[in-house]
Parts: sequence; C-alpha cells; structure tokens
Amino acid sequence: MLEIKNLHAVVAEEGNEILKGVDLTINKGEIHAIMGPNGSGKSTLSKVVAGHPAYEVTEGEVIYEGEDLLELEPDERAHKGIFLAFQYPVEVPGVTNSRLLREAYNTIAKEQGREELDPLQFEDYVKEKLELVNMKPELLERSVNAGFSGGEKKRNEIFQMAVLNPRLSFLDETDSGLDIDALKTVANGINSLAGEDKAIVLVTHYQRILEYVDPDAVHVMMDGKIAKSGDKQLAFKLEEEGYDWLEKEVQVNAQ
Amino acid sequence: MSNAVKENTILKDLLTYQTHLNGQSSLLEKIRKESAEKVKNTPFPTTRDEDWRFTNLKPLTRGGDFVPDQEESSEYDPSELEEYFIPESENTRLVFINGRFSTEYSSIDDLPEGTLIGNLAEFAAEDNKIVEEHLNQYAEYEEDIFTYFNGAFLDDGSMVYIPQDTKVESPIHILNFYTNSDQDFFTNPRTLVVADKFSKSTVIEEHIGLSDNRYLTVPVVELKLFEGANVKHLRIQRDSRQAIHISRPVAHVAQHSKYESYTITLGARLSRNDPKIVATDEEVDFTVDGLVLIDGDQIADTHSVMDHRQAHATSHQLHKCVINGEAHSVFNGKIFVRQGAQKIDSFQENRNLLLSRDGHVNTKPQLEIFADDVVCTHGATIGSFEDEELFYLKSRGLSGEKARELITYGFALETIENIEVDSIHQLLLKEVERYSKSHRDEPEAKPVA
Repeated sequence: MLEIKNLHAVVAEEGNEILKGVDLTINKGEIHAIMGPNGSGKSTLSKVVAGHPAYEVTEGEVIYEGEDLLELEPDERAHKGIFLAFQYPVEVPGVTNSRLLREAYNTIAKEQGREELDPLQFEDYVKEKLELVNMKPELLERSVNAGFSGGEKKRNEIFQMAVLNPRLSFLDETDSGLDIDALKTVANGINSLAGEDKAIVLVTHYQRILEYVDPDAVHVMMDGKIAKSGDKQLAFKLEEEGYDWLEKEVQVNAQ
Repeated sequence: MSNAVKENTILKDLLTYQTHLNGQSSLLEKIRKESAEKVKNTPFPTTRDEDWRFTNLKPLTRGGDFVPDQEESSEYDPSELEEYFIPESENTRLVFINGRFSTEYSSIDDLPEGTLIGNLAEFAAEDNKIVEEHLNQYAEYEEDIFTYFNGAFLDDGSMVYIPQDTKVESPIHILNFYTNSDQDFFTNPRTLVVADKFSKSTVIEEHIGLSDNRYLTVPVVELKLFEGANVKHLRIQRDSRQAIHISRPVAHVAQHSKYESYTITLGARLSRNDPKIVATDEEVDFTVDGLVLIDGDQIADTHSVMDHRQAHATSHQLHKCVINGEAHSVFNGKIFVRQGAQKIDSFQENRNLLLSRDGHVNTKPQLEIFADDVVCTHGATIGSFEDEELFYLKSRGLSGEKARELITYGFALETIENIEVDSIHQLLLKEVERYSKSHRDEPEAKPVA
C-alpha cells in the first residue's frame, strides 16, 4: 500500500535535515507503530507523508498504491484516502466542526466518485461516528478545536478520521496526554476503524496504547532513520529499558 | 512657524447652501447658526493632525463639488427600497432618501404608549420637550469640523424616545438610502435616541448606497441612556463604493445601563467612524464591536473612545478587519479611565486579517489610565493565513481556495454572532460569505505585517 524508500527531508526554511533515509513498507490490513525518542523524526515522517509545506523532500520516494505521492498536494492526498491525525490539532475559530467535516466529506466523496450527502443525510451519518469516540453532539456545532481540552482535541481527530474513513492513517501522538479512559476510547475508535483494506500507523512515545491496539509491526526511529523493526515485544523492551541499549547497538552497527 | 499650505475650504464653502433649509423650528435654526460659526472657525484636518495621520481626505477634497441633496434629481426604483425592509420592523421603520425623510416608505404604528419614533425635524417644529432637552447635547468632538458641519445642516433626522419601563419589541430600523444622482451630493443625517429609565430597545442604523455614485454623508448619532436602560445599536454601512462616509456616533450611558453597539463596515470609498461611549455614572456595561470587510481602493478608519468617568464599569471592544486588494484599514482605540474611576474592567482587541500583499493596516490601541485598581487588556494583531491552519484544512481534503474562504469566514463571524435580529444576522452571514468567497485567491506573496 505504502512504500517509502530512502526518504530524506529537510526543514524547508533552514535546510536542516530531519529524515536521513527512511525505508518503510506498509501493507493493507496492517497496523504499525513507530516509536522513538524526541527529535528522532517520527512526527516529521507523518507530516511529510501528508504533504506538510514546512518540509522539503531532497531524496527518495514515497509510493502509495503505485502512485508517486510526493507529486500531490495535501488535499489531493486526502482525496486518495490519506489522513493525518495531528499531534497539535489546529483551532479554526468561527468554523463549526460539522461545517468543516461536511465540506471535507463531500469533497473527498466527489473526488472518489461517491455520492455527496446533504445536511440531513450527513447529520444521520455522523451520529453513529460520534458514539464511536464518545463525543457529545454539541461538539459538532462548536468551532473546530476552539476551546477544546487536550483530550477533546485528540478525540476530535479520531472522530474526523471516522467520518472521512481514510485508507491510510497516520496518527501523530494521538495517545499523548490522554487519561486512561480517554486512551481506551481513542484505542477503541482506532480498532473499529482498522480493516482489511486499510492501514494505520501509530506514531507514539509510549507503549501503553499498544496494550489496547495490537500492532503488526513496531519500528523505532533514531536520528532520522528506522533503527530497528520488530514485533510488539520491541515496544515492551523499550518501555522497560529505554533507548540507551538501542543507541549503542546502532553505533556498533555503524562502526 | 507659519504654514504656507492653504487650508481646504470644501466644508466652509458648502455653508452657502444653508439657505435651502426650512425655518420651522427655532431650536434647529439656533443649532444650525451656532454650528455654522464653528465650521468657519475650525480648521479642516490634514494628515499632519495626529487623529488623521493615516487617513488622507483626498477622496473628499478632490473629484468635484457637492450640492445639497435634491430629491428631484435622484433616480431610483421604489421596489429597490423595499428589498431592504425587514419583517421584524414592519411598523418601526424610518426611511430617508438622500437625507430627506420619506413619509411614503416609513412605517410607524402600534407603538407602546408614550414611545416616539419619527422625523426629528417634525418633533422639533412642535417644540417637543425631549428634543429640546437632548438634541446636540452629547455629540462633543473637540475641534471636529464634521460634527459641526452636520449641525449646520440639521433638519430631517431620526428621533427615538423609549419611555420609562418600556420595552419596544420590534427593532427600530432606520434606513438611510443614497440614490444615483446627476450631481455629487452631500447629506448630514442626524439621529437622536433617548432611552428612559429601565427601557429596552434595539436600533438598527443602516446606510445603503443604491448605485455606485459619489456622495458625502456625515451621520451624527446621539444616544442618551438613562438609569438601567438597555439599548442595542446595530450599524450597517453599505454605502456606494465611491461614497465618503464620516460618522460620529456617541452614547452617554448612566448608572446600571447597558449599551451594545456593533458596526459593520462594508462600503464606501472612504469611511471614517468615531464611536464614543461616555460612562457618566457607575456600574455601566458597554460594548463597541466592529467588523470591517474591505477590498479594492477602500479606506476604513475607526477612531474610538471608551471614556470611563466613574467606577465599576465593564466595557468590551472587539474590532476585526479583513483587508484585500489595496485597501487600507486604520484603527485607533482610546480607553480613558478617569481619576477615581476604580474597578474598571475593560477589554479591547483589534485583529486584522490581511489577504493581499498590497493591503495596508495601521493600528494603535491606546490606554490612558488615571486610576490604580483597574483591569484593562488591549492588543492588536495583524496576520495573514497561517501555514499550519491552511495545511490542517487541506489535509482534510479542502482545496487551498476553500481553506482560505473558510478561515476568512470564521475570522469575520465572531463579531456578528451576537446579533439577535434574525434578518440582520442572516444578511450579515451572507455578506461575510460573499466576501470570503470572492477573496479566496492565493496572495501573490506573503505580506509583511
């Protein structure tokens, strides 16, 4: 589904290299977790896949369902089923959640040749999605993320994901800052949105979300590269022992 | 040091047209005479004056002479006017055409006992005591030739009196229409609103240019709120794109009264608005919010004064501007807290969204506080679209144009969401939507704020 080969990216303004040759393959039906210390490039990787203008790809390729993703604008990527749950969801004052989502849903539906929904149909459609993330209907009529608590913002990202029903989702630290109840809600949402023809990538600091979401693969990023890949046990080992052992291993390999 | 630049005499010269006015009221005659003297003795402002530093009056001073409003030469289709009537104000509507009161289109009926709504000139001719007591008592703008100019032509105008303990349910809709005309004309609308103790009312003051011709309008609005009175004042400026609109709305608010004003600026080539709220007693609450949506070569200047003369007041000013094309927005907001006026809670913010490279913003929030136990926050921002905000919306599948449209719409919306008159709220939503849709192109380059 997604193939990332030797991906290098710099901060567009200053030229500082963040991604230094990432290789990653994600197949349909899989859930991947990407872990790593602060500054390792895991958030940048998800932003680059979504097309954030702050980063410039200098080398390598990103192929999504046989198509060169790097040629596409962020909105075109969304039309093809790519979704990014933001680490810091943006507030859009004056624009209600329901307006943004209806606009987004219908734009994507139109691009994918599906039927658009009128306001009433859309209301019915989102109702069940709200339950999925345990959100109150009132939040639909509030401005996007404006005045939302940290947990509400994260849940709102999963809610948007549920409404837009993407094929490939990158969740950038969606689990950070959530209490145990909110974490379970978010994890339930993720599990019910996974599927045979879809893929989900969890970018996370902690293994605790992996107690509720079962990944097919765990990758560790260090210094702009995937330093190690494994199964769920790798996440537990990191949780217990930290990143030091892995840093040493990487250094030894480099020598 | 002598200044060799010759003063512009446009307003002084227009005084010769004073003879056109009728002389039915000795009160109006007296005010006109006194005001004319003041016009003669007050210098015409230039950009060397602090209050006019950023706003050049060239659109007024250059481009041909003005004549008084002449109904004979005005061209309009009556059905055009009716489009602007709102169902909420079926029996509380005052219509002026180029400054002249229109008995034909005005409709006043079914008012609560003692309520007076009508033509100021008529009430003045009948020696109405309220007019005698309150007219021209509040519009105090030091050395302001425009306020005096309005006084020098005081004639037809709006008069609203709400008696004690009375609520006027229907909003009072004052429509000032400006029609197409062979010659550029000038008008001086005057509005007097007296809200007696514990009364409640809504006044909608609208200025509508029906064509795209050039004219000068200088509205002066005086509001007096007695103890416990509640007045909502909606001001919608939809003048012609060549018009010059210079307005002075002033409210004197007494103890426990509440005054809320919302000014929406959409039209005119050059508009200058100087709202002034004077808290004459303790424990008042007032709002003076504004929304400015301009483009092309429009200039919109707001110079406001929030004058807290007594303690325990709450005041709020959110002034938002969206600027596109080569338009220019100016904001100067003064908050005065006089000596001894403790426990004032005042909020002021001017936010500007600059959509184009050639748009221009000058903003200056200004505090002058002579008391020590007050909370005053003020601030100003000038910004363009933020990359992160655009990226967020694009990552949800929205095109860049749609994203910019939504952000502009959302930015503007905040200032109109408290407007309770449904027709006006819907109208403004449409105006905001129309503006947002027509200006969603990507700016040529990122503007430097």
